[in-house]
Parts: sequence; C-alpha cells; structure tokens
Amino acid sequence: MKKVIPILLLAATFAACQKEPDLNELSSELIVYTNYDKSANFGKYTTYAIPDSILLLDDKAKPSYFAADDPRTTAIIQAINSEMKTRGYVRTNNAEADLGLQVSYVKDTNTIISYASTNPYWWYGYDYYWPGSYWNPYWGGWGPSYAYPITYTYTIGSLIVEIVALEDANATTKKIPVLWTAYMAGIQSSNQFNINKTVSGIYQAFEQSPYILSSVER
Amino acid sequence: MKRRLSIIAAIVVLSGTICTLTASAQLYKPMYFNIDWQFNAIVGNDYADTPTGWGMNFEGGYYVNSKLAVGLYASFHTANKHIGEELLQLNESSHLYTDQIHSVFQIPFGALLKYRFVEDTMFEPYVTAKIGTMFSRTSSTTQVWEFYEEKWGFNVQPEVGVTIYPSAAKRYGIHIAAYYNYSTNQSRILTYDINGINNVGFHLGFSF
Repeated sequence: MKKVIPILLLAATFAACQKEPDLNELSSELIVYTNYDKSANFGKYTTYAIPDSILLLDDKAKPSYFAADDPRTTAIIQAINSEMKTRGYVRTNNAEADLGLQVSYVKDTNTIISYASTNPYWWYGYDYYWPGSYWNPYWGGWGPSYAYPITYTYTIGSLIVEIVALEDANATTKKIPVLWTAYMAGIQSSNQFNINKTVSGIYQAFEQSPYILSSVER
Repeated sequence: MKRRLSIIAAIVVLSGTICTLTASAQLYKPMYFNIDWQFNAIVGNDYADTPTGWGMNFEGGYYVNSKLAVGLYASFHTANKHIGEELLQLNESSHLYTDQIHSVFQIPFGALLKYRFVEDTMFEPYVTAKIGTMFSRTSSTTQVWEFYEEKWGFNVQPEVGVTIYPSAAKRYGIHIAAYYNYSTNQSRILTYDINGINNVGFHLGFSF
C-alpha cells in the first residue's frame, strides 16, 4: 500500500498539469439548443397563442413574471411573433389556438430538469410552471408530455421557449404534448440581461428548426 | 557489544570496498534520467490539432550493458483549439448552436527499451521504444456546459534522439529527441469521433 501512494500522488500531480482552456476565447453569442417531437406534423396547425408575460424561474414560493410592458418581454414576444408569422401561423387567443408558446427565464436558480419515460417528472419543485389550467381553465392538474427525453442543468440567465400542442391535449391522460423545446444560455452579461443577444438567440432557434412550418407556407 | 560494533564496521568497510571496485570496473554510468519540455501536435484528426508546448516528459533507465537500457517513462500534454460557432446535429431531432474549445489531455506512461549507438563520446545518439498505457481526457467546453470523456488505451512511442554531454564527466547533459506516439484511445464528444490518437513532437531538456 505504501508503494501505491507515491504512484497515486504522481498520477494526481500529472492530472493537475492539464492546461485549462482559455474561456476568453469563447464568443459572447448565445448557446442555442433545440429539440422536437419527430412525429409532430407542424403543418397541420395554423394558429397559436402566446402570453404577454414571461415566467421567471427562481427560488421564490410564488411565480413571478416579466410584465407585459417590460422591454425585455416586448422584445422577446415580438421576435417570436415575427418568426411564427413568417412560418404561416396566426396569433389568436388560448381558447382558439392550435399551439401554445410558453416562455420562461431562469432568473436565479440552477435547476436540474429531467424528463424521460423511465423518470417521468417535470420541473420537480416548480408545480406552477405553465400548468394546464393556464391554457384552459378546465385543465386543472394537466401536465406536459414529451416525446424526447431531456435532462439538463439550466443555468442562471437561460431562456426556455416551448411549443405545446393545445389541439392535441389528451383528456384521458391529461397530458399536453410538447412539440418543441428551445434553450438559450448566456443571456446575462455582467449580471445584466442582454436583450439583443436574447433576440438573436430566438432567431437562431427558429433558424435551426425549419420543420416549424404551417401548411400555409409549405 | 564491542564485538558487534566491530562486525558492523567491517561490513560497512567491506561494502564500501565492493562498491568502489564495482564502480571502477564499470566505465559507464549505470542510471540515467531525463526531464524534458515537450512540444506536441496531434495529427490525423483535427479535433484539437493545434501544436502546443503544454507538456513535459520524464523518463529514467538502467543500462544492462554499455549500450542497452531498460526503464520507465511518463509524460503529459494538453492541446486546446477554439472552434467557432457552428450548428451541430446531435441526433435526429436535436441541434446545438455554439462555439467550443476542444481539449485533449494525454498522460502516456509505461516501460522503455533504449539503445545508444556510442557511449564514450560527447554526443550519444540513441533510439528508444516505449510501450505502455495512456489516459486521455477529451473535452469540449462551451459557455455553459463541458462535455468530456476519460478513456484508457494502449500506447506505443518510437523515439530518436541525442544526449549531449558538455563535460567529460557526463554528469549532466542536454537531451533532444523527436518522437511519434500512438494510442488506441477512442472518444466521442458531441458529433466528433476520435478513433486512436496520433502525435508527433519533440523533447528538449536535461539528462543526468
């Protein structure tokens, strides 16, 4: 055992000799990750609804929002509306919409999110995260369902945009299918919310998701 | 007690005499050690093929005769490379747009066989064959995440070099060598595949 200790110490010393990457080389652009339900037919939907406010994810007991008149909300919602319009979708109210877009901003928490068929929970500890009742007052207790497994650590300053299929909500299972998830990170610079970067990230998320297209535009 | 001390003293004197005689009979230095700075480039794979000098080499050996030595080696090296923004298709339905810093950190170590062509001159050219194992840590660092894999593989390293002794006593020398290094380590990071790692490089350091 005494002979092994110097070898382990030598190995640890060598391992500590790695030259760490210079993070200053990384650009200030956002990281944009997207995933979607491969079985979804985006062409069959024509209308969508989107809230006027953005949900803030933090460690408070009650949900809080970027208000509708907040310039951050305005910029984000305008960018999303612009992309949805370009792809042939028409904005309407919750009751008539085929699709719903829910936008969340991770304000001051690091949250591990996991959803998979073998581990089916979502926003554990965030029961108020876009409940089914937001989209329909009769959908109390309904929740989202994902066709793709997701497990991420969402860091502070991340924006999450999701498209849910309100038209395909299942009364039996009480599930609302989630068709698309976009995750953008790196929004905060020096603890300041960077609107321009956020809007660029939204455009990038749609650009790398050409399948989001109404039959009107096909 | 006095007798015991006498016996111990006799053993010490006798051992010293034997060592002196042995050293006199052996005209070459039996042990050697090299400590080098290492400049290395990964070739055949552009994951992190930036040549860098972020490495060191250590080796030591024992001459079983005037030309042939056996010993041990260990080295480490890091290569970092910035990759600009690009869209990566992670699988059929997911995409990631980001820039990255690719890193490959390597620690090969094992046994060596060294053959020097001459031993009684100022310049001692030699060839060495090194065989062992290698630990590698392959990673991609983004603003938010680090993706990495740590793997082990078989390692082989042929090397040619020369040890230059400025003084006749040959206590200290300058060591220069060029090498090729191959290991079987395999990694998959995001959409990048690494099937074996090829390196070329050189060592510059001290020998004693």
